[in-house]
Amino acid sequence: MEEILKIEDLSIIYKTDLETVYAVNGISFSLKQGETMGLVGETGAGKTTTALGVLGLLPKRTARVTSGRILFDGQDVCRMKEQELERVRGEKISMIFQDPMTALNPVLTVGSQIGEALYLHNDAELSQKEIEQRVEETLELVGIPKERKNEYPYQFSGGMRQRVVIAIALVCNPKLLIADEPTTALDVTIQAQILTMICDLQRKYGTSVIMITHDLGVVAETCDKVGIMYAGEIVEYGTLADIFTGDRHHPYTEGLFGSIPSLTEESRRLHPIEGLMPDPTKLPEGCKFAPRCAKCMEICKSRQPGVWEENGHQIRCHCYSNPAEVKR
Amino acid sequence: MSKNRKHTQLSEIWRRYRKNKTAVLGFVLLVIIIGTALFADVIVPYSKCIEQVGADRLQGPSMAHFFGTDEFGRDLFARVVHGSRYSLMIGLVTSLMALVIGAVLGASAGYFGGVVDNVISRIMDVFMCVPPILLSLAVVAALGTNLRNLIIAITVSCVPGNVRLIRSVVLTTAEQDYVEAAKSYGTSNARIIFRYVLPNAMGPIIVNTTMSISDMMLSAAGLSFIGMGIQPPSPEWGALLSNAQQYLFTAPYLLLFPGIFILLSSLAFNLVGDGLTDALDPKLRD
Amino acid sequence: MSKYIMKRLLYMIPVLLGVSFLVFTILSLTPGDPGSIILGITAKKEDIAALNAEFGYNQPFFIRFFNYIGDIIFHFDLGTSYATRQPVMESILARFPNTLLLAVLSMCLSAVLGISMGIFSAVRQYSVMDHVCIVVALVFASMPSFWLGLMMLILFSLKLGWLPSFGADTLRHFILPALTLSLPSAAGLLRLTRASMLETIRQEYIRTARAKGASNRRVIWKHALRNALLPVVTAMGGGFGASLGGAIIAETVFAMPGMGTLMTTAIRQKDVPMVMGATLFLAVLFSLVILAVDILYAFIDPRIKAKYQNGGKSRE
Repeated sequence: MEEILKIEDLSIIYKTDLETVYAVNGISFSLKQGETMGLVGETGAGKTTTALGVLGLLPKRTARVTSGRILFDGQDVCRMKEQELERVRGEKISMIFQDPMTALNPVLTVGSQIGEALYLHNDAELSQKEIEQRVEETLELVGIPKERKNEYPYQFSGGMRQRVVIAIALVCNPKLLIADEPTTALDVTIQAQILTMICDLQRKYGTSVIMITHDLGVVAETCDKVGIMYAGEIVEYGTLADIFTGDRHHPYTEGLFGSIPSLTEESRRLHPIEGLMPDPTKLPEGCKFAPRCAKCMEICKSRQPGVWEENGHQIRCHCYSNPAEVKR
Repeated sequence: MSKNRKHTQLSEIWRRYRKNKTAVLGFVLLVIIIGTALFADVIVPYSKCIEQVGADRLQGPSMAHFFGTDEFGRDLFARVVHGSRYSLMIGLVTSLMALVIGAVLGASAGYFGGVVDNVISRIMDVFMCVPPILLSLAVVAALGTNLRNLIIAITVSCVPGNVRLIRSVVLTTAEQDYVEAAKSYGTSNARIIFRYVLPNAMGPIIVNTTMSISDMMLSAAGLSFIGMGIQPPSPEWGALLSNAQQYLFTAPYLLLFPGIFILLSSLAFNLVGDGLTDALDPKLRD
Repeated sequence: MSKYIMKRLLYMIPVLLGVSFLVFTILSLTPGDPGSIILGITAKKEDIAALNAEFGYNQPFFIRFFNYIGDIIFHFDLGTSYATRQPVMESILARFPNTLLLAVLSMCLSAVLGISMGIFSAVRQYSVMDHVCIVVALVFASMPSFWLGLMMLILFSLKLGWLPSFGADTLRHFILPALTLSLPSAAGLLRLTRASMLETIRQEYIRTARAKGASNRRVIWKHALRNALLPVVTAMGGGFGASLGGAIIAETVFAMPGMGTLMTTAIRQKDVPMVMGATLFLAVLFSLVILAVDILYAFIDPRIKAKYQNGGKSRE
């Protein structure tokens, strides 16, 4: 299967008059057609920045890609002109955002907002009537009765609005769908429905998906492979089995799994990971997780860890990589 | 504990304010204007305002008379400087009075809701149906044209807008959880309003009050200009302009200087108001 | 939709009654009785008393109010002027078109200028033009419009001789007054539009539109504008009231015969019915404009429109 997305050593900063935020610090991963990859991490890890980077939607005034390439279908997104990007967005790469309550324009009908995606990328030169038909089909696909086409967003609940957002994202059959925490703002029961729907649609159309989330449960349900992000870096990367099973993990990953309360064991206290993510304007020398790491060694505080790899399972940690192999 | 937090909150706001160059300019301008009003007597004695020197009638700006003289030979510079007291005083007093009245009515309407809200809101709606200047004119028409009535007239025209603003701010704030919490452990209504709701609503209220000072000053000048406010020989800026109209073509400097001062004072308050808006809500910048 | 309009119209009735009551009450505070005002204090007591009876002065407050309202509703009669002894309505109808024309012209000018520059400024945020616009807008918004009028009179009328300075005979006479009246409020609209646009552009649904592949132009015109203009439309309703007030003052500057000069003369003469009638007339006009703006707003904002169409089928 062909590779549709390849990110090589990507670094992104936000630079304002006051400070520089090192949001993404040298990440690399790739995605094949039809694959689903989970991008997991706490708030502020750089997941949304990466997603916006893929779409070329980073704020022009403050964001800067300082290194690396984002190759989509062989072309570097970072070097594309705005007009080319506009053709790609919505048609080849789509994005679903986190908050369905604010993602839709309140003064336009949901039908027109879905239809707009078709109208903007009308290569097949569909007539207005055909566009309307496609809109209705897509609505039915996401489980909304087509009679509600001319209603306004405020007339829909959160879950329904998210379905509309998904309809907009999928109506042009994109090759890649980026879902940025699509269910975080929804009830657990609705969450299940939405996730199932995304998976079904993905299987039906062979869309590749990047599922951004902080919820390991969501990852387990939907993803083929996983990247764990911390402070702008991918600290562990591998297949679902690599991350969820086995005994070799990045200490952060272990902390994440360890902090999930168990339904079976009895425990008196939760086990959070001590400390907070480092200030992205003042990142520490050496390993960025070192201040919070239970297995921190002397070398961790001064030297960046290199990447250890075995059968596609990558871990960025001094515990595994030979100090002699450290790149930076 | 809360005193410390308040202190750092204020200094944080001040820090953000300082960064904004136009806001600082406004502040400096404001200090100059207020200083002029406060120390008018020191800058130039009041006697020069009313001292009529027939020989010096209608002279243009010169070293002896910085802004020139009017048709009675009075020094325009002195009159403008002392006029600042009127404009500033009117602006500040009317704004503050409108703020207090507006706060009481608006907070009651927003906090208590129900009948209280309905009655107050309907009455304010009626007031707002009369264009502000018209309302002030009606009050002045009824009560007579002097300083006290001008203040009443302008305050009345400013109150409804304040009530509406404060009511909506209070409504948003009163919905917050910490108010629910305070109610749940039996805090009295008055205490909730004064210690919880109003302090957090302060931001937009302060900005609005600052901007309204500028509006009030312009209204006062306008009313005096058409003879419905402060009467001559008081050197209020609007009255000065009214006087100067007849000499529009022969002595335009008589119009220039008072007008510029009105402009600068109003500008100062607007700049400060803008600066405060940005300083109080950093999300709006960038 | 028509339900909403009916509701608003019905609501207008108590409001207009309230406004009448307000104006009536304020002006009833004027000291002096009709007789003394018209004939002077030195006139004979019987003559004064006779006039007072003619004007119904000695009747209780509410009777006078109801009579006043009755006259307006049934006879379209706003009372008789103390000064001219002619119906107030006549004088108002003669003078009022000038004021209205001035207010409307300046409102249109300020809307066109202010809104377009506000959009331009917001779209080009941080550019040189944006900064220039902000500064210029701030200066004009702080300027008394009558002073601007005087300055422009000197420039355009005196020095350049392009435009007439006094009177209201031709449309050309309205250019300068309308322009000077419009600039300060254009500045206010510029600031409001700009702020509203900037706020709207920050919204999530704008990002959704971009992610769909919409060009910047499309995002601004199709998505941002309609949302951003909502508060501006509301503000323009109130702006009309300010325009009326400004027109009244501007008339003095440009010696135009209109409501402004009518009112100031009446106030000086203590002609209470005239002042009352003029104020009420303008206030009712303003209330109707506000009503129209509210209804217009409901047409633009679907949240309000559908609320009254389907009897509220919203699910927030």
